[in-house]
Amino acid sequence: MKNKTIFRSLSVFAISLMLISCEDFVEVETPGYKLDSEAVFASDQTAQSALDGIFNQLFNTSFVNGGNQSVTFTAGLSADNFSVTTTTQEVVEFHQNQIIPTNSYNLTLWSGAYNMIYMVNAMLAGIEDNPSLSQDLKDHMEGSGKFIRGLTYFNLVNLYGDVPLLLGTGYQENALASRTSSEIVYNQILEDLENASVLLDENYLNEDRTRPNRFSVLALLARVHLFLGNWEEAEYYNSQVIGASELYEILNDPNEVFLANSREAIWQISPIGWGNSFTHTREGNLFIKNATANTPVVLSESFLNAFENSQDKRHQEWVSTFIAEEDTLHFPYKYKIQYDASSGELTEYSMVLRLAEQYLIRAEARARLGNLPGAIQDLNIIRSRAGIPSIEESQPLNSEDELLEMIILERRRELFAEWGHRWFDLNRLGKSEILANKENSNWNSSSNLFPIPSSERIKNPNLSQNPGY
Amino acid sequence: MKNNYSRLKWVALIIIGGILFFLSKTANAATTIPLPLQQQEVSGLVQDQNGLPIPGVTVSVKNTNRGTVTNLDGEYSVSAPANGILVFSYIGYKTVEIPVDNNKEISIQLDEDISALGEVQINAGYYNTTKRESTGSISKVTAEEIELQPTVNPLQALQGRVAGLEVVDQSGVPGAAPNIRIRGQNSLRNTRSDNGNLPLYIVDGVPINSSPVSSINQSISSTGTDPLNGLNISNIESIEILKDADATAIYGSRGANGVILITTKGGSFKGGKDKIEARFYSGISRVSHFVDLLDTPQYLALRRQAFENDGVEPTIANAKDLLLWDQERNTDWQEVLYGKSAPTLNANLNYSGGGENTSFSVGASYFKQGSVFPGNYSFEKKTINLNLNHQSNNQKFRLNLSVNYGINDNDIFSSNNFVRTALSLPPNAPEVYQDDGRLNWENSTWDNPFSALESEGKSNTDNLIANAGLQYHLLEGLTIKANLGYTHLDSEENILLPIEIYDPAIWNRVANRSQHSFINRKSWIAEPQLVYTGNYKKHNVDALIGATFQRNDNSQLRIIGTGYADRHLIGNLEAADAVDNSQDRDLVYKYNALFARVGYNWDHTYFLNLTGRRDGSSRFGPDNRFANFGAIGAAWIFSNDSFVSKHLPFISFGKIRGSYGITGNDQIGDYRYLDAYESTPGPGGLYPTQLTNPSFSWESNKKIEAALELGLLQDRINLNLSWYRNRSSNQLVGYSLPAITGFNTVEANLPATVQNTGVEIEFSTLNIQSEQFQWRSSLNLSIPSNKLIKFENIEETSYANTYKIGEPLNISILYEYDGIDPETGLFRVKDINQDGRFDFDDRVVSRNLGRQFYGGLNNQVNYENFSIGFLVEFVKQEGLKIYNSVPGFLGNTFQEDSNGWTTENTTAEVQKSSQSISALISYLNAYSSTYRLTDASFARLKTLSLGYNLPDKILKNVELTGVQLFLHGQNLFTVTNYKGLDPQNPGTIALPALQSITGGIQINF
Repeated sequence: MKNKTIFRSLSVFAISLMLISCEDFVEVETPGYKLDSEAVFASDQTAQSALDGIFNQLFNTSFVNGGNQSVTFTAGLSADNFSVTTTTQEVVEFHQNQIIPTNSYNLTLWSGAYNMIYMVNAMLAGIEDNPSLSQDLKDHMEGSGKFIRGLTYFNLVNLYGDVPLLLGTGYQENALASRTSSEIVYNQILEDLENASVLLDENYLNEDRTRPNRFSVLALLARVHLFLGNWEEAEYYNSQVIGASELYEILNDPNEVFLANSREAIWQISPIGWGNSFTHTREGNLFIKNATANTPVVLSESFLNAFENSQDKRHQEWVSTFIAEEDTLHFPYKYKIQYDASSGELTEYSMVLRLAEQYLIRAEARARLGNLPGAIQDLNIIRSRAGIPSIEESQPLNSEDELLEMIILERRRELFAEWGHRWFDLNRLGKSEILANKENSNWNSSSNLFPIPSSERIKNPNLSQNPGY
Repeated sequence: MKNNYSRLKWVALIIIGGILFFLSKTANAATTIPLPLQQQEVSGLVQDQNGLPIPGVTVSVKNTNRGTVTNLDGEYSVSAPANGILVFSYIGYKTVEIPVDNNKEISIQLDEDISALGEVQINAGYYNTTKRESTGSISKVTAEEIELQPTVNPLQALQGRVAGLEVVDQSGVPGAAPNIRIRGQNSLRNTRSDNGNLPLYIVDGVPINSSPVSSINQSISSTGTDPLNGLNISNIESIEILKDADATAIYGSRGANGVILITTKGGSFKGGKDKIEARFYSGISRVSHFVDLLDTPQYLALRRQAFENDGVEPTIANAKDLLLWDQERNTDWQEVLYGKSAPTLNANLNYSGGGENTSFSVGASYFKQGSVFPGNYSFEKKTINLNLNHQSNNQKFRLNLSVNYGINDNDIFSSNNFVRTALSLPPNAPEVYQDDGRLNWENSTWDNPFSALESEGKSNTDNLIANAGLQYHLLEGLTIKANLGYTHLDSEENILLPIEIYDPAIWNRVANRSQHSFINRKSWIAEPQLVYTGNYKKHNVDALIGATFQRNDNSQLRIIGTGYADRHLIGNLEAADAVDNSQDRDLVYKYNALFARVGYNWDHTYFLNLTGRRDGSSRFGPDNRFANFGAIGAAWIFSNDSFVSKHLPFISFGKIRGSYGITGNDQIGDYRYLDAYESTPGPGGLYPTQLTNPSFSWESNKKIEAALELGLLQDRINLNLSWYRNRSSNQLVGYSLPAITGFNTVEANLPATVQNTGVEIEFSTLNIQSEQFQWRSSLNLSIPSNKLIKFENIEETSYANTYKIGEPLNISILYEYDGIDPETGLFRVKDINQDGRFDFDDRVVSRNLGRQFYGGLNNQVNYENFSIGFLVEFVKQEGLKIYNSVPGFLGNTFQEDSNGWTTENTTAEVQKSSQSISALISYLNAYSSTYRLTDASFARLKTLSLGYNLPDKILKNVELTGVQLFLHGQNLFTVTNYKGLDPQNPGTIALPALQSITGGIQINF
């Protein structure tokens, strides 16, 4: 009898425990600092934040932000505009064109690019066939995302040659992806940019030029076609940009070009992504030399010699000097603010696409197409702003080749310390052998491509290495 | 010869056995047998000195084979002759004989039998057992062993006391969390922020989040502070360490790394008159050991030699110490930067008492430790505690309430390299202060270490641990219980960084700043339980079933203020130009479980213990939240066997036990399975911050143990020998991925298994036992072995250069040191693959840096009113030398570096003095080679206590029940070959554990 009671109460207790300790208890809500990805793309407002996130993160993503693991710095080092003032081995390796595959700068450059591609792919997946979002926003997000993806793959393919072309977010498949031929990658870049050019509006979203508009896409398309040797397309696309004179103009004062939302800017990245306003651009922080800043590079002698005319305003305004002991060191001074402790307003943005490059692209395309007067006309616009005599006044050019040489030189003087233009130009034009003349250079024909980072190859056996590494 | 020898051995054994046999015979007095008379039913209650019921007490009628056992509430009922005698016996308590004398009710209180070594009550968490009857591996440390130690954290007081427990101080800064491991490292996740090796802490039944509380103060941020810092060490009754599967499986998913149970002091029913205990001690603490460095003449000679060797002219840029600084000044920077004696003070007051049905204990304490750093810094701890017991008149309902509240105030500057600076600063570095009292920056030629003292770092941690235990006696043998707990830890840190921490030369580039951190940990737990105790003939069963509901809320808020107009305003966020909220997180962890235990024994001789738990944790994805854990433990007390008592009478106690079971580990961050976005540092944006794998699951830990426990000569000699093997598999780690996936890792279970095996020996003797003189010794020894036994495709993971299959986790993978190059005079390591480069392919030597064995030797001697006790902690291990400056470079180096390689001294141990890059590279390579290995074994006089009790004669006159005067020394003496700061942490540059001497008085009213 007693045993029965015990047994009964035991089983009642056990059953009631079972009932109350059910799976529901260990459910937790998504915490306040996270938003479930489904919720992110559930409304226009939050979906917009995912897009804002991408533009914020551009400033925190190594390859694109102008810092010391960016294309600007690493590709710049690899060319001949800089000489090195640091003993940091990983920096020196770039400058001497002998990058060891374990170089961590190279890994960060590569990883940053693919992190950005992941973010874009995740966003594109989130808006695809998503009925909760308005079509306008979806178009804008898709256009913006594809523009960023196009820009990223364009840089990757020029730095590394064939690269894995990843358009989804599944890490199981992506982790084992092999390299895609650069032609296919280029096709994807063109497809992305052509799509974006249809989806994006001609006007900027607001006062800021930090969100791409249709012209930003066209400007990048022009660059891509230039690299592919599609001269007609390059001229076709960038003529539209140059034609948008209500938005863009070549500024007379070189000191105004790199200011936030300057009228020469086609697309810029705002340092606001840093999260507080104690710094301005990373380029300014990286290049400007003074008594307390140990900057890793200065401008090389060969670059300084490229200015034939000492009155060149670019030499006067975009290059500054610092006297260290006996040496006079020249450093890039396109961005004027190295560091600002006063937490003032952001006055400079990091430039990605600007009108001067478009004139130089068109000059090159026109020269290739045999339109030498048109090319000279474009070139003169750049020279005139620099305060140097027009082509006709200085040295009459007789052949297309001479003109092209002059365009390449002008690109070097105009676009130095921006986005590794010099490195890409030398490589695409097959002129990189002159890099063997750099001090301590280890350049050889396989130096044109950076190595695939060794840890990537350890983790993904399907990734092949570039020749020479 | 061999035969003769072994025969001799047998003869000796027989003789020794015979002596023991006779000794034991004389100890047992013979008894006569009277006849029983008229029977009557006698019942009553058996309690301990604290008024707590003792279940399982054998109540027998003398000279009959009739008897019973008290139930869970200490009650019994037996029929006995009216003139018979009842014998109450229980392990660990003095046996009491009481004549029935026609009484129907006999309730008694049993006194603990302190001479019975090892026969003590053990708290196994959800149930109690005894050392004698336990089937699991549980070590117990009692109040007397820890209460006088001037440590902040109660667990630091356990160093050297428990087999299988490693407590390693990470820093001598008060409050810094020590590194705590029970039976080795089980999980590959071993960083401060992501540690899968923490034991489970339970204080009075309430689980405490055992991960260190993170700190933004750089003096302590590398370790964080321990969540148990708020406990009053003097208020701890006992600490139990649960080690094997049998003991830990009832904690299921949280038992993998062992469990530390802390029980605080309570009051006692019927305790007679109220008791007041007051204790006060004070003393000093200081750094126990300085590194032997160069003085100025030696240092400058070495530097000049370097320039001479390199053929380089010293310039202001590379030799400010030779050209700009005073050549005569000689400062012992260790003395200046951490050579102070820190005052230590502790006051403790406890009041306990009680009546028939209610008892209480309230107490308060104050602890303050100054700082060995210059300046006026201190760590302060105030605690208050309350324990209340109540039972209803019919004793069916019982309530226990315990509340512990502690406030820690830590005031220390924020600097992460203060100790390192003391070692590396040249002895002729400039004066710290100018004549006018301002910091001397010597024309910007040095970083003045005292600038760190311009910063302020105050942290305040409040910690509440409250527990209510309710129980109701339903029926004979059946009790329903509820354990309700609440914990609250609130930590606030404010770091003030005026521009004065920098050289005035860069003041135009810096701003006054402040950093603020607010951490809040709250948890509640509810555990309804049903407990059954019963016996039938010689079958004894106790069983319980229960459930756990637990919720932890953890929030972190970090704020940075920049640009204060004046130093005075720093910290007032309203006065900051910019305020940045760098972190604001609320984390919720929920936990749910069902658990059960059945303990069975036959005649207190054969024991079987089954425990099981079904756990659910919110840290896993919806499909992987629940898992089952369990263990089986068994024991046989073979000394109860008549064969043993007849033929091996010197064996007073003998038990073999074993256990096997599975526990788990859910110590990973919260929400890792979520596919979610977080806000970007920039405004308004959201971005994905991790790859998600919703299917990761528990780490599981299989434990097996076998043990032998022996008591010899009426338990005057006790030996416990245990062997264990723990295997942790399904390792939960950030699985390495190529960066093309967007990220470098994803949380996943790795096909890797870590094995910890070991032998633990606990040996204790009662050497002398007389009225005036007692001497006890105990030794514990642990011989652990750790091994990574499985890790598929390790070469393709980011762990390839950290771990090796078949080797311990705590290895260092090193180059092979190749002596000093006779041509260059520089260190040389072997280029194994001869490719002219030194990389991981050349690191072919892997060496275990874990402990090879460790333990403690404890002695306690009482002679009349005097007592002396000391503990020697010993550790055998290999470790790394500390890395200081390269000899010849700017920066002080070790004494032996002054005797480096020269063309005359080619047998030197250290490379030649040089300030060249090649010398730096050689030195760095050597410091990544076997050259860096050193013996880091040590034996340390961990504690030494002297006490004197005032004789009763004097006490009677002043109406005190006891007065004790005591002296206590901590870390007084260390024997070691290790030349760095503290052999506990070889290779690390951190403030070593302090040594201290304290003296005080304890008064009992």
